[in-house]
Order: sequence, then C-alpha cells, then structure tokens
Amino acid sequence: MNKLILIPLIGTVLIFLGCTDVKETTSAGATVSTIDTERNIEESQAIVLLSGLPTLGTKDSIAIIEMDPESNNFGNILYDYPLPKFDAPLHHLYYSPNGRLYATGLGVECSLAEIGLVRNAQAEPAITKVECLDTQGQSVGEDIMWHNVNGKLRMFVTFMGGTDLTQVDAGSVGVFDSQTNKVLKIIEARKSQVGEGKPYIMYPHGISAFEDRMVVTSTVHPNLADGVGNTVTVIDLNTFEPIENIVTEDAKPVGFPSSPVEVLFVRPSIVEGVEPAVLVNTMFGFETWKIPYDAKNKIFAKPEKVYDGATAGTGVPLEFYGNESELFISHAIPGLVKRYDLKSLPELVSSGEDIKAELGAHHMIFYSSASGRKLIAVQNNLLNLGDAKDNDPTDVDFIAKVNDHSLTVHDLATGERLGMINFKDKYQKGIDNIEALFGSGFTHHH
Amino acid sequence: MLKMKFLAAVFLVCVITTVASIYLFSINKQPDTQLVEFTTPFVFGRFQIPQDNPLTVESVKLGRRLFYDPLLSKNNKVSCASCHKQSLAFTDGLALSVGVSGKSLPFNSMSLVNLMWGPKHFFWNGRSSSLEDQALQPIEHVDEMGSNLDDLTEELSEIKAYQILFEQAYGELNAASIAKALANFQRTLVSSNSRYDQFLRGEVSFSRQEEFGRKLFMAHPDTKVSLRGGNCIDCHSQFLTSGFSSVFDGFSNNGLDDDINLAEGLYGLTKLEAHRGLFKAPTLRNIAVTSPYMHDGRFKTLEEVLAHYNGGIKRSKTLSPLIIEADNLADTKAEHISLNLAPHEVLAIISFLHTLTDESFLTNKAFSDPFKTGELND
Repeated sequence: MNKLILIPLIGTVLIFLGCTDVKETTSAGATVSTIDTERNIEESQAIVLLSGLPTLGTKDSIAIIEMDPESNNFGNILYDYPLPKFDAPLHHLYYSPNGRLYATGLGVECSLAEIGLVRNAQAEPAITKVECLDTQGQSVGEDIMWHNVNGKLRMFVTFMGGTDLTQVDAGSVGVFDSQTNKVLKIIEARKSQVGEGKPYIMYPHGISAFEDRMVVTSTVHPNLADGVGNTVTVIDLNTFEPIENIVTEDAKPVGFPSSPVEVLFVRPSIVEGVEPAVLVNTMFGFETWKIPYDAKNKIFAKPEKVYDGATAGTGVPLEFYGNESELFISHAIPGLVKRYDLKSLPELVSSGEDIKAELGAHHMIFYSSASGRKLIAVQNNLLNLGDAKDNDPTDVDFIAKVNDHSLTVHDLATGERLGMINFKDKYQKGIDNIEALFGSGFTHHH
Repeated sequence: MLKMKFLAAVFLVCVITTVASIYLFSINKQPDTQLVEFTTPFVFGRFQIPQDNPLTVESVKLGRRLFYDPLLSKNNKVSCASCHKQSLAFTDGLALSVGVSGKSLPFNSMSLVNLMWGPKHFFWNGRSSSLEDQALQPIEHVDEMGSNLDDLTEELSEIKAYQILFEQAYGELNAASIAKALANFQRTLVSSNSRYDQFLRGEVSFSRQEEFGRKLFMAHPDTKVSLRGGNCIDCHSQFLTSGFSSVFDGFSNNGLDDDINLAEGLYGLTKLEAHRGLFKAPTLRNIAVTSPYMHDGRFKTLEEVLAHYNGGIKRSKTLSPLIIEADNLADTKAEHISLNLAPHEVLAIISFLHTLTDESFLTNKAFSDPFKTGELND
C-alpha cells in the first residue's frame, strides 16, 4: 500500500483507538456524540532523528514513534519524514520557548535547521519543511539554548567546528535573533589566536547560562583526531566575550584530556533558593564536576569533583535531564542513568537505584503509559558517524562500542525495564536523538 | 410435489436474503465524502473529532449554510449568525444577545473560534459537553431561535438544496445531522494568523510595548525574583489564550461579584458549591473586536477589563486564589485585591491583546454568509 495512504490511515485509526465514544441525548431526543478527551494519545509519542545506514540502504529521516509499552503500536513509526542527504546527520532536536522546532547537524551543509511542524485536519503531526539556516559558515552544531540578554531573547548555538573545520582549535558560539534566525554575532576565540593565558573557546559543545554568565565546554575536535579539550569557558553576556577558562580535569582514566561535554548551570529557576553552581560531565574523564558561583560578585570558585566514574565503574557521562523532583545523568558505559535528588543540588545526593539501560545511554524522555504508569525512555546511542566503506557507518572504534542503537523503556519509580526498541534491527537505522512531542512532558536539558 | 415445495422454499429464501441484503446495504450506506484539508499550529495541541462525525467537505458546506440560514428559527428571521457575526469574531457586539422573543438573553454571545481546543465544555456555564450538543440548544431555546426540531427537520426536507446537501454529507436529514453539520462548520473556524501567531512563527517582531505586554501577559508575578506579571496566563493558555482543557480547569471565578451577587455559573451544571460563580475562561483571540466583555457583557472596553483586574476584584468564597495572590507586592495586602499594575503596564497588556486580532480570520470567505456571496444558486 502506498505509504502516503497508510500514514493518515494509521493516524485515523489511532485517533479512534484513543477515543471512548459516549452517546448523549439532547433535550429533543437527537442522539449526538461526545468523546472522552481526557487522555491525550500523544503523551506517549516521541519525535526522533534517525540516521540511514548506507550499507543497509536506508536514509535519514525524522519520525514520530509510539513509546508506550502497553500499546500494540509500541516501537512503531507512526510518521516518517525523509530528510535530504546531508554530509552528516542531524544531531539534536530543540523546541524554542515559542514552540518552534530546531535541529543541530554534525556537518557543514546543514549545521542548524528549523523544522516546520504542524498538525493536519485529522489532528496528525506533520512536517512541512526542514530549512537549513545560514550560520555564516559555522559547522558541526551541537547544543542550543535560548536566554534573555538585556531583555531580549537570543538563541545561542555551540558549533564544534567553528567557522573553519580545518582549524585544529576550531569552535564558535553563534548568537542568533530568536525571531528571524539571523546571525547577530559569532563568538570565536581560538586558543592559537588569543595569546598565552587568555580565555579561549575550543570545540564548544555543552551550554548553559544564568543571568549574564554563560558557560560552554571544550569537548573534542569534530574529526575526533586533532584535539581534546579539558576546560569550561565562561562568557560575559554583556560583551559576548570569553572571560575565563576553568579546567575540570583530574585523573585521565583513558589517557586523554577530560573532554567536558554537557553542562548545567544549577540556578534558582531549577532549584528554588539554590546557591548557583555549574555541573560539568567530562566525557573522557568519566567525572562530574561542580563549579560554585558567587552571583553577587560574579566569581566562579575552584571546581570540585563530585562524582568519579573511574572508581565507581562508569564512563562517558553525557546528559543532564530533570523533572520536578530529580536530576538524571546518563553514563554511556556501562549504559545506565543515575538519579539524584533535585533539591540537594548542586550536591549529587542519590535518589534511587540506577536505571540500567544499554551501552551508549544518552538522551532520555519522561512520559506516562496509557494506564498512567510513569516512564523513562533512554536512547542508547552516542553518535551515528563513520563511513560506508567501513561496512558499518557507526564502526568508529570507540563510538561503535557505545552504540546499542536502541531505546529502552523503564518504570520511572523502580527502573524496571518494560520494553526495548532496537532501531538497527527493526528499521536498519541509527537513532540520533529523542524528544517528547511538544506539550507532552518535554524536559529541557540545559 | 415435494420437489416443487423445495424449490419454492429455496426461491423464498433467496428473495428474503436479497431483500434483506438490499435493506441492510441501504441503511448502512455511507455517502461518498471527502475529508477537509488544512493545517493548524502544532503548539495548539491535539484535538479530537467524534468518530461518527468526520470532518468532511460536505458536512462543513452544509453546516455553513445552516449557520447562516434564518429558517432555523421559529420566525425565520434569526440565524446562528445573528448572534455570531464573522466581522466581530462571531460575537454580536451586544452586552446580552437578543433572539426571537426579543428578550435579552442571560449571557453575552461567545466568540466561535478555535473550538477544537480549550475547555471541552461549551457555553459560559459549561452546560454542553460537545459541539454537536451545543449546536442544537440555541435552536430549541424559546428565546433564542424557538424552533421545534421535528418541525425544522420537516421544513428543511422540503427544500431541494437541503435534500441534496444532507444526502451528500450524511445520507439522511434529521436533528442529529443538523447538529453534526453545524458542529463541523464551527470546527473549521480556526484563527491562527494573528500578529501573535506570526510572531510565534518568527515572521514578525513585536514593538517594544507589545513585547512588554506579552511578557506581562505570560507572567504570574513573583516578587522574590522581581518578576512583575499581569497573571493572564494563569487562566488563558500561552498559545491558544483560552481556558485550559482538563476537566473544569478552564473555568474560573475572576472576581466580578461578591458572595451576595454571585451567579450560578458552573454550579448550574455540577451542583457543586465550589463551582458557584465560575465561568468559562474564553479565548482571547480577536478580543479587540469582541466587546463588550465577560459573561454578562458588563465591560465595554479592554481598559475597563484591565481596570477590573487592577483594583476592581470583588472577594467571594470561590474567587480564584491565583487572582488573590497575584498582586505584584512583596507583602500581600489581603484587604484589597489588585494586580497593582502601573498605567504603562496596563497599556502594554492591551497593546499585546491587539496583536491577537486575525484579520484573515475575520474576512475569510470560507466562513462568510453563503447567501450573500452568490455561491448559492438555488
């Protein structure tokens, strides 16, 4: 059957399955319909970026997938929008505060895109366009954050490849007009250019901000060969200039610099009354660091290591996600999610047993099943990079070990695994990112 | 002889089977219809359409004609559009609407827009739980349109155009299909091209005053972090600007009257004292053209509405606690409830409210009176 016919058909069936029809009689005796609208069937649906695996003959796409293990549709793609062929996969999805959907991309051709997401007359989500934005040459987009600067909302994007991917110390932070998507400023301060001891930005990846201070991490050169960073860069948002580098590195369990990756500025809007501090995960240091911040005097204190994966048996800590009571940190090795009491931040006080996912534990979403069970889904996949000539495009030695190509679904309270979807097995694709559909429990992670 | 009886029995069975099949086919026959096509902003959220009333081109066409046809009233002078004029975002500009009886009705005419979202209870007091049910109530109401549905059905069935339209849309002409058609036309009344929508899509930028007003609209005040707010979003959601859809979350007592004068409101439906004086938080889409305001049309201008929230709140036992605490003061003054907004903040909120006007909605030919556009040739 033609896919174009199948998609609305599936959607229509879903709408009907999601409704409980109730007949009511009007005062005149006419029978009319009402519907049970309390359950939103999209609460358990997610939007995912999928990478085609060239040796398996599949193509990149954006898909909407059913994530409720109680559903007969669990793991099924409900909607699939084929993407143009870019030089590297789209990487992360983000919703702006105004509900616009964006994606960063790991290449040069499309390092930042806006995705047109609408709803058709049958209430089904549909994508109308993927518009690659003019980044003025900035490449390898990673993270996005929206932040108010002097009363104006700005979109900040980290570009690990900066304005020239061939530079060994590449990297930039793009400042965009959040309405027009136009570049307002490129914050670039290459280590080789700024002078000895001066603050620099290199391979920026994680990003977070509080008031007029923004922090970005220095992770790894996009070619995974030219260099690895070990600092967090502080940017003064009054001047858009980097003002400080803070090293977050201790032991080198794999012999590389620590490679700070995701970063979270713990602030009062996340934890009421908290003394602000920056939490930093180091990809190759296997550690989590805390950098206390004196907001009154705008001084960052000496960083403290608050978690040591090398001794705890975990590696490659990646993302920070939060809900109303807990903070979750994913560890790609051995593939688990650790959980902490939100009110105790910036200290990491355990709030329960680890959630045992699979190698490559990375992004996560929170949602409920049809029966109301609270769930967490974990994406177990680091990156879909590589080259078709390697037979498996994800077969870059290190990365291949942390790519399970799966999503695992767990009971949020107990961590019990309730389901698993292996994208490579089921769809011959890799998964790059998962986010809940807007309005269905989306949790930002910066 | 036996053989003849057998053949006769077989013949009889065949005839009965054939007749039954034709009958069953005829009663199950569904008209060949085409689904309506449009897109809506994803941020409006999911909507649901009744399984037995798919949103078809044919049903919307029929519903539009019915909506504008005064035949639906007892005196053949009042149509749905009499109280719901497109240029006024489907309101009538009156404090209290007037129907066939000439008496003022108890309520202000509600705007008909984005009805697939927001509270799933219709009318100011939530007395109807579906658009289909809602559609018939004014037709039957003695003061509004005063029709008898049986008589109306008979009257419509004598008109050739309606015979065809009902056949095409539902295969039958009865009260239920009148309700369904009106409901579906109203479902298509989607407003999503105001300057606010264009702002959300990144197509335009707001003026400084509009943006200031938007921020005030979206903020519940919190003096601990020096956040001033107009508190509007507590009842009017971010994108739809309507009441919230969950159960009765879309209903609120916004301090119009004290306990002595408190109207029934949602209590009339639920008989719960906690619901006395609660009315539906309406959408604010096109609010600049839908005056007068509130369920009884007591405020003529947006300035009067803002003045109410900025010092005119009356205390009662079911007054929304979100209104009481939203005073923009470090120390709440319990005796006087007010947002305590400065004049420039009031003006900014009003400026933002004007960005909710959707001219393309107010002039969309698809929503207009087909009797005046020359589309009808019968």
